[in-house]
Amino acid sequence: MLLPESMSRIVIVGTKSRLDDAIEALYSEKSIHVIDHTTGDDKLSIGAPRPNTSKASERLLKVRGMEKELGVVKHTKTPRVSVEDTRSQINAGNVEDVESQVLKAVDERNDLNQKITELNSRKNTLELLQKLPITMDLYSGYKSLAVLVGTVSTDPTTALQAVDGCECFVSMEKKTGVAAVFVRMSARATALTALTGCGFTEVHVPEETKKVLPAEAIAEIDEEIGHYQQQLDAANLSLEALRSKYAAFLKGTDEELSIEVEKGSVPLRIAVSEYSYIIDAWVPTDKVDRTKADLEQKLGNDVYVEFEETRSRKMMDEEAAEPRFRTPPSKQNNGRITKEFEYATSLVSLPKYQEIDPTILIMIFLPLFFGYMVGDCGYAIPFIIIGAYGLKIAHNKDWRSIATVLFFGGIWAFIFGFFFYGEALGMHFIGMEDGVFSLSHVAKGGTSVTWDWILGVTFPSWFSGLLPVVDGGAGIGKLEDISFLLKLAVYIGIVHLMIGHCCGLVNHIIQRGKKDAFFAKGGAIITFIGMVMLCWALTKLLGVTKIGSDLTMPVLYLSIIVLFVGVIINSKTEGFMAIMDLPGIIGNILSYTRLAAIAMSKAGMALAFNYIIFGMIIPRVMVGGIYVADWSNIAMLALAIVMFAFLHLVVWTLAILSGGLHALRLQYVELMTKFYEGNGTEFAPLKENRIKTFFSEKAKVNTKEV
Amino acid sequence: MTADVGTGLIALGAGLAVGLAGLGTGMAEKDVGAAAVGAITENPKMFGKAMVFMVLPETIVIFGLVIAIMAIFVM
Repeated sequence: MLLPESMSRIVIVGTKSRLDDAIEALYSEKSIHVIDHTTGDDKLSIGAPRPNTSKASERLLKVRGMEKELGVVKHTKTPRVSVEDTRSQINAGNVEDVESQVLKAVDERNDLNQKITELNSRKNTLELLQKLPITMDLYSGYKSLAVLVGTVSTDPTTALQAVDGCECFVSMEKKTGVAAVFVRMSARATALTALTGCGFTEVHVPEETKKVLPAEAIAEIDEEIGHYQQQLDAANLSLEALRSKYAAFLKGTDEELSIEVEKGSVPLRIAVSEYSYIIDAWVPTDKVDRTKADLEQKLGNDVYVEFEETRSRKMMDEEAAEPRFRTPPSKQNNGRITKEFEYATSLVSLPKYQEIDPTILIMIFLPLFFGYMVGDCGYAIPFIIIGAYGLKIAHNKDWRSIATVLFFGGIWAFIFGFFFYGEALGMHFIGMEDGVFSLSHVAKGGTSVTWDWILGVTFPSWFSGLLPVVDGGAGIGKLEDISFLLKLAVYIGIVHLMIGHCCGLVNHIIQRGKKDAFFAKGGAIITFIGMVMLCWALTKLLGVTKIGSDLTMPVLYLSIIVLFVGVIINSKTEGFMAIMDLPGIIGNILSYTRLAAIAMSKAGMALAFNYIIFGMIIPRVMVGGIYVADWSNIAMLALAIVMFAFLHLVVWTLAILSGGLHALRLQYVELMTKFYEGNGTEFAPLKENRIKTFFSEKAKVNTKEV
Repeated sequence: MTADVGTGLIALGAGLAVGLAGLGTGMAEKDVGAAAVGAITENPKMFGKAMVFMVLPETIVIFGLVIAIMAIFVM
């Protein structure tokens, strides 16, 4: 369970004439991970794709193109379609039919878009010319006259006075303006030079023979644009209609053709000779017999399946193997709940075939740490509800993993909140010592806002008996008993790290044997134990822990010996770095104090907010020498409720971020670096991934007959 | 609550130890973090390695924490 599934290598040999049937049979097994053939000098070559594959990929390209044009994306919801329907439609040439319809509609839309863009640019020019008192026909149709029209940054009239026989119309507005210059053809260059000095940029004037003013021309263009816009809307509607008509068909064909192309290119991954094919493959060991029997039953005498080896976890075997058989794929071997946490492991890397899969450790410790940090019934319940709901509806891996952490973390948060900290929404259940239910109670500070005080009840003694007590008060106070929580966090860290080191040792024993493991990992464990003992003794000596003990000095001496031994063993493999690693051990352990620190920060914020609500916002009146809540002031009470909800939502949201991330970080950095190497190859068996298509009953019978 | 000047100074020292060490860590992690995000964007498989590099400078703040704890509990 801890290691990835055991893998065996098989060789499948058969007659080339039945390769198509063989590929179908391999796909139906769903447990064959093909090892790609690399052409060598063994007189075998890689196969050629199935004959219909190129047609299928051509069609697939068309389908993808149409999907893009019509805006059919991965998450577009469409009904599922049956495989045999899809196949018959593809064979009947429906892809091409639909493509011609879609292309026609798309072309029409593009043409209209093009026309509207052109008209708009013409309109922009005309809007410029509107400022000049010239009709449109005057801009063109001259033989001996050049017309220069464009924008200018300064008035060119003075500059153009030097040019002979030139007439200039200018309209200036602040820093920009428009100028139309009519000049003899021979003086064109001179005029242009003069204009350039005024920041002239030429504008192309559309030719017009009618005597119309630019404003009239603009009205005409507007009418034309409106006309095309209507046509464009109609074209978009027809595209939308095509989309809703063919979305399901496109998604179905996309999937079907993808599978066909994938199957068709399987021969490219295997070895073929003139009359036969040879497939090397990894199969989970417990499925070897079944796979062999199935293939022989489906392909009869045309196939021969040979079992080659069951790969051991020894690195020696891997190193001795031929390069392409060297790395068996890793198939994580986890139960239903643990599987949900595989995503967390995969963020780092997939486990190697020869090492412990850390997923199960993450499953245990991630929610536990999250619960320790949140530790509050009030926040836990929404976590559990949202997590459960997320697990029910979410299919996306990211969301599922978040929902999983929230659900299990929420459960732990509830357990810690109820039985350990004894609090909900940052307030302890029990805290009222003097039995006075008055708002003046709050004046003592935020920690005196407790549930028994708010509800005005005294909880039965069996209830307070459930809660642990440290330094008075029922339940562990995240703020009052912080040194206890810090110490507890350190102990949790020691256990967690020890588990990490042990996994490292086990990995090494599996891969290299006991002796190697002792020298490679034993040193780290001994050093770790020595360091823990040394720190324990030092805290006693320095008085961090007040109670001295007779054991202090012996433990101190022993720890130094243990450390020395550990460093000696370590130095065999790591050399001088063995000594450098020592402070790292303390760093690792102290890193767990974040568990207490984050719990404390949450509690601190909740405390401040509760104090604001109960100590400041809730209106109060003095009755008989003590303050009580003034229930008549509804506005302030409503404000208090809204503030209460909002402020606690802030704490709750921050709990997800800091609690979740830090719990995860402790797994990744502190735990997994102790033993995890990763970089495994994913077990990717041949199988059809059908989401949008399904086999109807009739088809199922057919595939069984294959 | 009354406290003498000595206690106050200890509290101040502890606060400074964690605070300044945290500042140092932050400055170091800023660069590592930016590079790590860049690396992960190019190759999501780098996440594991990037995460480890990302938290290396945290050692600094842990030393600060050690001093703070010693200041509060030992002195």
